Amino acid sequence: MISKSLAIKVLNAALATGGDYAEIYLEETTPEVYSLENGRVESSSSPQSYGCGLRILNGLRSVYGHTSDLSAKSLLSLAGKLAASYSEERKITVEKVTHVKTKKNIKIEDHVADVPVEEKIAYLKEISSIIQGVDPRIVRVQTGLSSSVRKIEIYNAEGSEAKHFENVEERTRVFMIAIAAGQEGIETSFEGPGASAGWSYFTKTLDYKKRAKEAGEKAVMMLTAKECPSGKFTVVIANGWGGVLFHEACGHPLEASSTSKGLSVFSDSIGKPIASPCVSAWDDGTIPNEWGSDNIDSEGVPTHKNELIRDGICVGFMVDRFNGRRLGMEPNGTSRRQSYKFCPTSRMSNTYIAAGKDDPEQIIKDTPLGIYVANFGGGSVDPTTGEFNFSASEAYIIRDGKICEPVKGCTLIGTGQEVLMQIDRVGNDLALGQGNCGAESGSVPVNVGQPTIRLKSITVGGRGGILE
Amino acid sequence: MNFDKFFALAASKGISESQIKVSKSSSMAIKLFRHEIENFSVSDSQNVIAAGIVNGKFGSSLTEKLDKDTFEFLVDRILRSASLNEKQEEADIFKGSEKYHKRNVYNPALEDAPAEEKLAIIKAVEDKAYAADSRVAEVEVSYSEHSSESCFYNSFGLKLKQKSNYFYVALSVVLRDGDQTKTNWAIFLDQDLGKLDQDALVKEAVEGAAKKFGADSIASKKYPTVINREVMANLIDYFLSSAVADEVQRHSSMLEGKLGQKIASSKLTIEEKPLTKNVFFSYFDGEGVATQNKVVVKNGVLKTYFYNRETAKKDGVESTGNGTWGGGRVGTGFGNIFVKPGKQSFDELISGIKDGVYITDVAGLGTGMNAVSGDFSCQAEGFHIVDGKLAEPLTLITLSGNLLKMLKDLKGFANDVKMTLDSISIASAYIKSMNIGGK
Repeated sequence: MISKSLAIKVLNAALATGGDYAEIYLEETTPEVYSLENGRVESSSSPQSYGCGLRILNGLRSVYGHTSDLSAKSLLSLAGKLAASYSEERKITVEKVTHVKTKKNIKIEDHVADVPVEEKIAYLKEISSIIQGVDPRIVRVQTGLSSSVRKIEIYNAEGSEAKHFENVEERTRVFMIAIAAGQEGIETSFEGPGASAGWSYFTKTLDYKKRAKEAGEKAVMMLTAKECPSGKFTVVIANGWGGVLFHEACGHPLEASSTSKGLSVFSDSIGKPIASPCVSAWDDGTIPNEWGSDNIDSEGVPTHKNELIRDGICVGFMVDRFNGRRLGMEPNGTSRRQSYKFCPTSRMSNTYIAAGKDDPEQIIKDTPLGIYVANFGGGSVDPTTGEFNFSASEAYIIRDGKICEPVKGCTLIGTGQEVLMQIDRVGNDLALGQGNCGAESGSVPVNVGQPTIRLKSITVGGRGGILE
Repeated sequence: MNFDKFFALAASKGISESQIKVSKSSSMAIKLFRHEIENFSVSDSQNVIAAGIVNGKFGSSLTEKLDKDTFEFLVDRILRSASLNEKQEEADIFKGSEKYHKRNVYNPALEDAPAEEKLAIIKAVEDKAYAADSRVAEVEVSYSEHSSESCFYNSFGLKLKQKSNYFYVALSVVLRDGDQTKTNWAIFLDQDLGKLDQDALVKEAVEGAAKKFGADSIASKKYPTVINREVMANLIDYFLSSAVADEVQRHSSMLEGKLGQKIASSKLTIEEKPLTKNVFFSYFDGEGVATQNKVVVKNGVLKTYFYNRETAKKDGVESTGNGTWGGGRVGTGFGNIFVKPGKQSFDELISGIKDGVYITDVAGLGTGMNAVSGDFSCQAEGFHIVDGKLAEPLTLITLSGNLLKMLKDLKGFANDVKMTLDSISIASAYIKSMNIGGK
């Protein structure tokens, strides 16, 4: 997007006052977004994003700026403004740029952008009609497709030889929202499968008809669900999106942006037990074509498969370049950002609890009384205290080892430290679910994941009184 | 940019009516950690959004890439977007309101103040925070400043411009006592640096965290519940989102069919006053319609929904000036909300409660709220109220209920009004009874 000679000029202007690392991040993103209401196209847009983020590090200090004007004048002015925050002798002069080839975890042949618009709209209409056909109580169906092609170029310099990286990120996500209304009230359900994959993934690999049907059925079922009881219960959490619990309660506190400053409950936990021995966990940005995967991170570091917990012992963090300095750890391909408008920091990609040995059905059978959370709406955590909350979007009472009546308004709360120790059963049915995670460096696509797990005892909030 | 060229190009390609909005913004932020500037950032952003009508269909586009091809790109995307649009209602571009209440809310003194002065402010706040309590272990304080300018033009000759700026100081603290860690934060937003009361900000953050030590859960049951201003503003925000006409017309609102009805306690009166001269002032909406102050709920009775032009047409009323437009389809929003306070002080408000709960913070409302039905359940913290006074701190409790039921059970507000960052001016609220989950 800019010439190599301009990149060298900008890097040198940025490094003029003693910076020891400078990085130019260039982005041009062309998305396409379609949204349908009850099977009718109501909006289609392609908001084009274009700009440059410039970062200069000097020891444990960081300055960041961005602009959507990529002219030499604008970039040199930005570099000058940022460099003015330091006032030391120049340490580095960039003399040349070397291009670095990146390993490809994402291989796409049938690009979604190349598929005729009519075909994509027809697909969304089919999903819409499947949902509408589930039950007459479905009063509104929203479907949508959001697909983006993000072209990235990075120039970074820690010495006289700058490195140049190029990457293309392609992601697509399909949205299905069903709203059901009856005498009991109004309920809504959501499905949002996504991948860094081509069109055939969405039409062939993904069982979109099943997902659409489930979206409709869930909204209708929740109409008659009773209020969830409150108190401390044994809770079984289903595989897949259930992993959002681990994402919030444990993943965020293991990001170097929290651990490096002593602001995380897991700050000094490497080598120490932080979870029950049946728990092992990974953050893996390399899984081919997954929603949270990538070839390189936002600093040009190749993505890794990073081990976080081995048999309950904390063995690693997600480390970005800047926070890695404070920790004395190498960056491990986890520095991410929403766009050029955000300074990158350590973030999760595809984060999951590894499969265990238990048969998921047996876990339910071995639970006399408790709650089965089939799906979560989402949740949040304070990484400093570890306190978290999750809202179930689909939950049931377990009685005598069987999944019984559905309940609504179920919230799980606790602290990450406790809940990881409370896991007493881990199933063999690992699955992943897609979401967008919001934090300091913006909203980034992530997979959460886990097999079916059981928590011995956790606080459940609901309006249904005592569980009997 | 020469917008006449855009309008001419659009017309030549069959776009009968069109509008364009150019937004420019710049910002800077400084963050301190352990007495050092950890982060400094500056930015300049610009984007252009445009829309037009092709054969009665609305099409729109957005780009951040401004060069000689920008107008071509915008026109091409408008044509594509309009050709896919299957809305049955015929769309048009708004010509303009008869009168606009323009005011100048830009404060040049903020931008002119030297960076050293802004840095000195947060250094002082940081020092005061460390000194406020011996248990303060970590302090993060940041200064952020933002200014924006937008121009809205249409092919009928309407020209509207608005410029605004603000700053905020955010302070977050970590207090440690033995193996207990407590966090809290406070934020101050204004246009005038002189209005920041550093001591009050530090007090709010540090004392708020200190009071949480020794917090425990509480027995699960229904309690008379007092909700602080920030949490109440958050809940009112969800309530008002249900008054957006798009949601009502699409059968996704708990307020459908409730216009003119008593939907809440008579203690609830809510006004939207976009023309208030403050940081949140705006005199035209996303469609170029002049904004207006209005009563939304009066003594518990729902007086109006929030309308943009399309939803107003559907209901046979005028737009309320609540259209929003970010480059895609036109939405609906609201701001500068004023909830009528009560007469009692906070202490008086809680004085009659024998065994109740005071909620000071919630987490997870984003996912714990069913915005359609109003049912919610979230993590909360606060204090036990015993014999009319705040007693032991509470943590890891859950607060759950239904928004409409809660507003019917509203017994009143205190007089401790505060303007929150959501642009909602509100006081602490007393709810007759709510479900608290704990032990």
